[in-house]
Amino acid sequence: MAVKDKLKTHLFPTIWCPGCGIGLIMQQLASVMDDLGLDKTNTVLVTGIGCTGRMGAYMNFESVYTLHGRTLPVAEAIKMVRPELNVIVVSGDGDLASIGGNHLLHSIRRNPNITVLCNNNEIYGLTGGQTGPTTPMGTNTISSPAGAAYTPLNLQGVVNTNPNAFYARTTVYHQGPMRKAIKEAIGWPGFSFIDIASQCIENNGRRIGFGSAYEMLEHYKTEYKPGPRDATRLEPHQLGIVKGEPATAAGAAPSGDGHGE
Amino acid sequence: MSTATTQPERETKPMTKRLVQGNEAVLLGAIRAGASFFAGYPISPSSEILAQASVYAASHPEFRFIQEEDEIASANAILGGSLAGAKSFTATSGPGFSLMQEAIGYGHKVGIPCVIVNVMRVGPATGMPTMPGQGDLNQARYGSTGDYTSMVFYPSTVAECYEYAIQAFNAAEESRTPVILLSDAFLGHLNEVADLDAIKVKVVPRTMEPLASGGTRLFSGVATYADGEPATADADEYIRQYEEAKKHRLEVAERYAFYEYGWNKESDTLVIAFGITRRVAQPLAPHFALFRPIRIWPTLDKELGAIAGRYKKIIVIEGSDGQYANVVERMLFRRVERVPLLGGRMSLEAIREGLDRIGLLPSEPTASGAESPASVGAESPAPAGSRAVGGSSVP
Repeated sequence: MAVKDKLKTHLFPTIWCPGCGIGLIMQQLASVMDDLGLDKTNTVLVTGIGCTGRMGAYMNFESVYTLHGRTLPVAEAIKMVRPELNVIVVSGDGDLASIGGNHLLHSIRRNPNITVLCNNNEIYGLTGGQTGPTTPMGTNTISSPAGAAYTPLNLQGVVNTNPNAFYARTTVYHQGPMRKAIKEAIGWPGFSFIDIASQCIENNGRRIGFGSAYEMLEHYKTEYKPGPRDATRLEPHQLGIVKGEPATAAGAAPSGDGHGE
Repeated sequence: MSTATTQPERETKPMTKRLVQGNEAVLLGAIRAGASFFAGYPISPSSEILAQASVYAASHPEFRFIQEEDEIASANAILGGSLAGAKSFTATSGPGFSLMQEAIGYGHKVGIPCVIVNVMRVGPATGMPTMPGQGDLNQARYGSTGDYTSMVFYPSTVAECYEYAIQAFNAAEESRTPVILLSDAFLGHLNEVADLDAIKVKVVPRTMEPLASGGTRLFSGVATYADGEPATADADEYIRQYEEAKKHRLEVAERYAFYEYGWNKESDTLVIAFGITRRVAQPLAPHFALFRPIRIWPTLDKELGAIAGRYKKIIVIEGSDGQYANVVERMLFRRVERVPLLGGRMSLEAIREGLDRIGLLPSEPTASGAESPASVGAESPAPAGSRAVGGSSVP
């Protein structure tokens, strides 16, 4: 097998804009899947709405292209009914953290053995560049002409509300760390979340001063640095993986035992 | 169910009558139909289904249960569970049913068999959480965005809750759509003596290939061509797919054209009532003919059309302000009289008041034969089929 076999290359070119970061995620995911022996008989993709959601259509797997925000309940149900399958969610920050935010909170709590790849471009790209849940404060978008007014959602903090969870941060520039994160996440016995900073040049980058996708990648290269090994918390713009304790068999816990604090 | 599983010898005995609650009967029917995945969120008056599903799951590991964070998750989860290969269902009531509408539309678009039980209460909004209503008929048909072909059943007795739960799953498997099973606060919490083992309904097996069967299908809420490429601006392709799905779903619905026709067929007035309302109206049996749609959607145009012409007047008694009456007028192109039972007032008294308002209260006293709905169970209608049943309950 080869990476190419994981992709429906006959459907290329994709709908993604030239310079989009999503292709870099798909390529790396396909490569890791090839390494790990994930194929259409043992793996299902679940994708959301937004540019990233199209990824399922371009991969040689059975794929559920869900409603906006609903990847996690669908993925969790598939895993419950078919625990032998690898269930991989691929979606964007808006789909997972805004409209799907409630599901994210509770999926993390239940800790299903699924892997989530979040294409975090800090914008609603498909709809033209509106403020998203992870848009940095002050960013000029088409729905925040005076700058985004609110604190962006702390995805790391949300994911790590469960001490058993797996959170990784990488960028599409850092292919090595992204590869490592995807590989470890798929192997993680519980909920794993990969927060992948990725450029949207057409509907975000140009408006905030980048001349090209290349400039955005260069920005990731200079701004993001590896975090310490065995970090329990990553600082902003630190690359790395924060792993909790792998979950053990659930036991009855009385309230107030501090679990989850 | 525990009786049947712990003491299998009793299964062979012909009489296994016992008190069963409407909500419990729905769950037992789902299990009988082969359901193996339930996702839900607590909401009165449907919560017994969730709670009892969790109890069942605890001793049946092949039956998966999840209590979700909300009804949006519940409805989307049963889509995923069904695609993964499990006959899947959820249960809710008005506000939760509203939250499920987008997922129901997805199920129609993609073609996913599943069952949504809606134990109706009085709405809109939080409304009257423990009072029975019948105001979700339109939502059950038109609640999601766009055009689609819904199938909706509404039983009248506890035994029928079991029977039509099975039929709902069968119809879902055949049509590959989310099928709605309506109930109401009254029926869901009604306890009746029933012999569920005596109800024999053939179960339609799952035929849809589960996920990861070796293909590369894309299950998409977005309009796509067969290869997965977007067809979001191709009217011809949309119409082709829509018409094909509609034709298939209407053909399947033909096999589920359940209704009851009975009471005093010699009367010049036909009462139309369904669900719990039909039970409450039972004491009117000497005075009126009865048509009870069990398949609420698609409407029974042909079946009602063949009957309605025999009657000078038609009265629709229902727990909403004319949702089904409007449908009947559209079906028959004639005016009908209306007795809306609002605010959860599902009583014979309320029906009599309503009939009096429109000048159609029978002159003979009906109260002498009046029984509370709970005690009507002994003369509950025979299991209805696509043929007319009834008439036997006329004293």
